[in-house]
Amino acid sequence: MIEPQVNYIQQIYRIIIALIVIWFINLIWPFISDVILMLVFAFLFTTLLLSSVDRFERKIGNRGLSVLSVVIILLTCVSTFIGSFISQISIQAQEFSERVDQTTMVNEFRSLGDKATSAMPSFMKSEESSSDYFANKLTEITQSVLGSLGSLVSTVGNFMFIAIMVFIFTIILLSEYHKFKKSLVNSIPNKYFEVGLKLIYNIEKSVSSYLKGQFLSAASVGGMSIAGLLLLNFFGANITLVIFIGIIAGLANLIPLVGPFVGMVPALLIAFMNNLGNDAATSHMFLGTIPSPFFSIDIIFMFLIVQQIEGNLITPALVGKSVGLHPMLVMIVLLIGGTLLGPLGMLFAVPASGVIKVIIKEIAFVRKNAHLL
Amino acid sequence: MKSAKWENIFKGWNNSESETVHTLKKIPVFRNLSSKDFGELENMMHRRDYKAGDFIFKNRAPGEGMYIIMRGSIKITIGTRSGNENILAELEKGEFFGELALFDDEPRSANAIAIEDCKLLGFFTQDLMILQERNPVLGHKIMFNLGGLLGERLRKTNHMLIKEQSK
Repeated sequence: MIEPQVNYIQQIYRIIIALIVIWFINLIWPFISDVILMLVFAFLFTTLLLSSVDRFERKIGNRGLSVLSVVIILLTCVSTFIGSFISQISIQAQEFSERVDQTTMVNEFRSLGDKATSAMPSFMKSEESSSDYFANKLTEITQSVLGSLGSLVSTVGNFMFIAIMVFIFTIILLSEYHKFKKSLVNSIPNKYFEVGLKLIYNIEKSVSSYLKGQFLSAASVGGMSIAGLLLLNFFGANITLVIFIGIIAGLANLIPLVGPFVGMVPALLIAFMNNLGNDAATSHMFLGTIPSPFFSIDIIFMFLIVQQIEGNLITPALVGKSVGLHPMLVMIVLLIGGTLLGPLGMLFAVPASGVIKVIIKEIAFVRKNAHLL
Repeated sequence: MKSAKWENIFKGWNNSESETVHTLKKIPVFRNLSSKDFGELENMMHRRDYKAGDFIFKNRAPGEGMYIIMRGSIKITIGTRSGNENILAELEKGEFFGELALFDDEPRSANAIAIEDCKLLGFFTQDLMILQERNPVLGHKIMFNLGGLLGERLRKTNHMLIKEQSK
């Protein structure tokens, strides 16, 4: 008769302990959230680079040197990309500012407004939708966007600090990964040893296959976007920096749902910048029927096709069942991730839920087979 | 006089092999391997300590891999310890058990219990898979040895079966 009462008290005790732990985490979260975020990033980079470092190590027989080689190669690639991207974009911006002053821009927007208004069905036209109103609105938006770029500078410092810390954490993790893993495995009690080992391997496998799949699908989006943009150029879209746009589209694709739309933005901006003042591009019609100023509808349509190919053909084949979450659940975890950590939260939401799923599965297995452990 | 500083500088120059490598060299699964291979294997092995009477694994529990006895002794049993325990084998230093779990997902077919305090080396399916990926030549050598070992056992079982049938 006493036993159920003891269990009942134990349950209450456990709930109180859990509540205290949640309260404590909530209390210290603002102080540790940045560090945890840095560690998560470092862990993801480590997972991506680990096989290359291991391969180098087998060839040259020194862990430190192999980490250094991989990091130097990676840094060279990244800095070459960023450096050439910045120089290309500054040339483009300079050329744009030389070609277009504010008056020209207002005039262009005005003529664009006229064209848009004339293309509208008559019932949609109102007294207020004059070309002046349209031009002023567009100029206002453009100026506010340019103005807000200034505030970006302050966040760059913070970003640089985080990037350096992530870089240092990644190097440490890459050098000591196998030792860390071994210490973790050694700390598992004998009773749960094989289950714990399996859990660690499964988490590793889930994260690694998800990341590899994501990067392969990002590469395919990048490649297809470059091909699509070159095709549009063939029809006179006059889009420059095609390779950079493709790479950005591929990288943006890593963020589920929102990423594909973010990837379109640079292409639309470049098309707009390059074709401002070009009458043929301003009055371009998509498939000869739908008005598509600066090839905007063509670009959006091209990216939508790329997304469909990637989403329905490539990702299922590459990423497949690596995470194995229901699409509805993916959307929910994305919303939760986005609410908690913004775009970064969205980036990590799916792999984090994959890891949680693996843990829950193993805990359920342990509970079911407790008598065998 | 020995100096710790000089010992640190020349650490690794002393080629005497570790206890782990010494044990591994006696195991037929790891025969015909180079010292470099043993070095790689040593890094992959999981060292575990068990007290006398501890279960290493239980009958019907999911199996993940094989164990090599570095120190102490263990018994392979079926049934429970209370009364109807049936000891199938007693294994000592330098012997190994549980290697079938490297190949299949079948649960363990017996209990493994430490007779005295023992030190074991664990080598698991995932380790073998990682090895296949990282060092396919070494992975193939181990697989080939494992295959040979299982073939040998099958041959012995066939002989025993023939003997029993001819009685």
